[in-house]
Amino acid sequence: MTTLLLILALGWPLCVAALGIWQAYRTPVARRRYFTGWWLSAAWPALLLAYAGEAQWAMDAWMLGSQWSLDALSRPWLAFTALLWSFAAVHARGYFAKEQARAQTGDSAAERRLLRLALLWPVTLSGNVLLIIAQDIASFYLGFAVMTFAAYALVVHNGTADAKLGARAYLILAVLGEGMILGGLLWAAGDTQSVMLEGVREAVATSDYGVAMAALLWLGLGVKAGVIGLHVWLPLAHPAAPAPASAVLSGAMIKAGLLGWIYVLPLGEASLSPALTQLGNIMLIAGLAAAFGAALYGVWQHHPKAVLAYSSISQMGMLTAMVAMGLAAPEVWPLLLPGVVLFAAHHALAKGALFMGTSISEHMPRWSPVVIWMLLALPALSLTGAFAGGLISKWSVKSALYEMHHETLISLLTWAAVGTSALVSVSLWRQWQQRSAGGSHPGQWGAWLAALVAALITPLWLPLPEGSAVVPPLKEWTSLMWPLPAGVLVVAFGLLVTRYGRLATPPAGDLWWPYAWLGQHVLKGVRRAGHGFAALKARCVDIALAIETRAMKSVTQLTAMEGWMRHHTSGLMMALAVMLALLLLWEGAS
Amino acid sequence: MNAAWLPLTALAASLLAAVIIFSLPEEARRVRTSVNLTAAVIKISLVALMVKRITNGDEAVFSFQVVGNIDFVLRADALGVMFAGLSSVLWLCTTVYAIGYLEGTANRKRFFGFFSLCVASTLGIALAGNLFTFLIFYEMLTLSTYPLVVHSGTDKALNAGRIYLRYTLTAGVVLLFGVVLLYSLTGDHSFASERGLGDYLDDHRVLLTLIFALLVGGFAVKAAMVPLHGWLPRAMVAPAPVSALLHAVAVVKAGAFGILRIIYDLYGIELSVELGVTTALAVASCITIIYGSMRAIAQQELKPRLAFSTISQVSYVILGVSLFGPFGTIGALAHLLHQGLMKVTLFFCAGIYAEELGIHRIDEMDGAGKRMPLTSLAFTIGAFGMIGLPPVAGFITKWYLGIGAIQADMYWVVAVLVASSTLNAIYFLPIVHRLWFRVGPAHGHGHWPDEQRLGRLETHGWLLWPAVFTAAISLAAGLFAGLPFSPLDWATRVAVGEYLP
Repeated sequence: MTTLLLILALGWPLCVAALGIWQAYRTPVARRRYFTGWWLSAAWPALLLAYAGEAQWAMDAWMLGSQWSLDALSRPWLAFTALLWSFAAVHARGYFAKEQARAQTGDSAAERRLLRLALLWPVTLSGNVLLIIAQDIASFYLGFAVMTFAAYALVVHNGTADAKLGARAYLILAVLGEGMILGGLLWAAGDTQSVMLEGVREAVATSDYGVAMAALLWLGLGVKAGVIGLHVWLPLAHPAAPAPASAVLSGAMIKAGLLGWIYVLPLGEASLSPALTQLGNIMLIAGLAAAFGAALYGVWQHHPKAVLAYSSISQMGMLTAMVAMGLAAPEVWPLLLPGVVLFAAHHALAKGALFMGTSISEHMPRWSPVVIWMLLALPALSLTGAFAGGLISKWSVKSALYEMHHETLISLLTWAAVGTSALVSVSLWRQWQQRSAGGSHPGQWGAWLAALVAALITPLWLPLPEGSAVVPPLKEWTSLMWPLPAGVLVVAFGLLVTRYGRLATPPAGDLWWPYAWLGQHVLKGVRRAGHGFAALKARCVDIALAIETRAMKSVTQLTAMEGWMRHHTSGLMMALAVMLALLLLWEGAS
Repeated sequence: MNAAWLPLTALAASLLAAVIIFSLPEEARRVRTSVNLTAAVIKISLVALMVKRITNGDEAVFSFQVVGNIDFVLRADALGVMFAGLSSVLWLCTTVYAIGYLEGTANRKRFFGFFSLCVASTLGIALAGNLFTFLIFYEMLTLSTYPLVVHSGTDKALNAGRIYLRYTLTAGVVLLFGVVLLYSLTGDHSFASERGLGDYLDDHRVLLTLIFALLVGGFAVKAAMVPLHGWLPRAMVAPAPVSALLHAVAVVKAGAFGILRIIYDLYGIELSVELGVTTALAVASCITIIYGSMRAIAQQELKPRLAFSTISQVSYVILGVSLFGPFGTIGALAHLLHQGLMKVTLFFCAGIYAEELGIHRIDEMDGAGKRMPLTSLAFTIGAFGMIGLPPVAGFITKWYLGIGAIQADMYWVVAVLVASSTLNAIYFLPIVHRLWFRVGPAHGHGHWPDEQRLGRLETHGWLLWPAVFTAAISLAAGLFAGLPFSPLDWATRVAVGEYLP
């Protein structure tokens, strides 16, 4: 039964894509619907699978030999991923309803875009599911690659210049990341001769070059997870992508990078080498730098989705810091892991709800504005850790750190939460400024509300081990809650201050611009060098040809000499005969 | 039990086909097609028989004495049959494709005759049991390919043919020199002999190195290793099926296969490592891999880009050979097959684009995915395979090569592999992007350069199905690499035979 579910979880999305092709082939444009009931159901088998209990599969014929499993880590991960994909699909149906209507009336560009999205959405999903259940390297890498490259269609969907730029940044960094992941995986797998992710962890932990492997894998997967420096695609891609795509991108897919870290890094293993601990410290600093830096930069953004993208970077920075603890202070990891999973799951749903919320404020339903804004604020409140699911997920992380006496990190994370609440406040403020009425599709607000509720009650439905999600004791509530008013106050104060002096908005994508500048100059140099080499080669060929011509000329001269010899045959023969005779005479004489 | 008839009939199948085709009149299209296809199918069944015999543990050998102590030997060993299998399967695909491609053009008799000869020589190379036999078929391949390269008869084609001959014939002379030196040193030396040339190491170290350099230098021209690759991009003027065959199995692979034979069956791996020639080879192949990819990026036309990609990809085989260890060997052997499948797919697709839509330049490919979905899908699979993304077969070989490099403590090779993947992505992803994500003539923007409607489907069925078939096989070879008789499985079998005799 579980096996059947597994096959469906991976295969059903592909079937849905195939069905989409079939429909596109059969039905005329005027009647074609891209987001059918079948399409919505793509993630359901995976969701069922997550609740079907633990299981393991092994298949030798699959690539390098595969092992898939559903365990304490992959089950909750699959659950929140599949849930978010399901909600986002329903949201997409509403979100794209107008575009579909345009396509049906003959807008061929809309038709093309929708078809592409409808086909590649389930493919991306199946990649995401595969990488979660994979325990062998090949399947994990396959899932990761499928997800990464198919998601290009999700990012580029709108086809505007911004979308193209975002998609380009996404793809360039993805290719770089894939390269680093491949290098790290190969290195580790070659070291232990294993094709399982377990072997990678072992190699990283025991090999002399473990820290180099770990660094490659951290950075490679970090492209997805938005490690500072490699995060530049997020604020470029998110504002340009459609809201449901942003939701899965920010909720489910960047979590794939995090899950990858947990899969390939020897987190929580005793007696790690000092170099690995050092790497853990670097990761910690990078994570905290992302958590604070993204908040500081993000609050200046105009586009609510850019603000939310920076919020994602900030949140992933916190998660990076927690993962780093697995290397820097391994003894805390077993306690921390359930908290990390809960944190990730809650962030996925809350961020999904927030991104879907941006489409709600753009097409406000005909409800009382007060209700709408309260609902929009709910996931934001939860994300800051002051409320419902967020409160519990924050506490589950903090209690683990408390237990191991990492008070500094706790206070830093708390301060980072001020950044989070500032970011979400700005995002809500920007949404308010850019709101527009116009009514939304039931699918649109339905999915949004569902994701919202799911985010608030994350600990209730997430299949975590017993006792890993507890309500914090009352005396801790103040320490968990104060960042929220603090963040709001900071933003309010900032608004008051900046009201009187217009400040230029820093461009979304921060470091992308210097990177792009640098890249262009390097490329220019390479191109110039290339022309230089081409000229050099041409000169070499010329010289070789000249030598050949000269050689041919001397060979031709030989024929001329032959002619001369032919002309003087009789004389030469005479001379030869005389010489021979003389030789004979000389020999006879001596 | 020896089945001497088996390698001989396999060879005769294509030779006979060539003879029959040459004796048929130009107009006898149906007969020629049937002869071609029958011979191809017969050959596949014969190779399948050989595979069966080898799994049972016996090899079929055919030999007779030519002069003195020089023998003509055909031996169906595991390595040879692997190459023979590739050549026979791809012969069928390419023949089907060529029939569709050349429909209604002139000189088809000449084309198919030499095509069969070319494949016969490839099979001879695969099954050759000693260096002498190898050399015969190797030179036969050079000569039988020339008419195919210059098939169109334009000035450009003739020029390319001339350059091709210059390179390959010079290489042939160098090779011959090496072979003569070797024979004068050791006498006849079968590929099947267990001893290798280790006995001569103490007295003739320098001579052995010289002979190695001569032999590998000779083969490297066909394997298009930098800086001996100049002929390959020019030979792109040949018709698409020829390019496909040239790049996937015949000429380029013959060179690589020759190097395999030299290292594994003539010198032996230990001796090669002892002489230190493998490191030199590894460096040369890495330079080729990177250089080929860099040049590919600069190409604006589809076929030259694929040609430079071949230069880069074939050196993976050489690289794998030069990594001492079973994983590198498996990677090299599997790549021999995988690269063939993927590259043939890409060239089929390039030919289809050129025939159906008149596309030659990459910037003309915008939106072709809508007009030709199956072709573009096949192209996408091939391109992803070249980048080395799972689940396409290219990933499997890259994986084994990487593992082999790590185990040989050559960490820089992994860097080269990763760099090459990235470079491949840089020159293949834009094409895929153009196919699927840009708007072009299929969406009502502009016109195709020269659109034909060759068939009821997106193009002529005889062109389309071979491409789809090879794309499917490339995908399956990666996805189900663990199945028995997959390319990886067979490569493992050969490698195990080399390392655990």
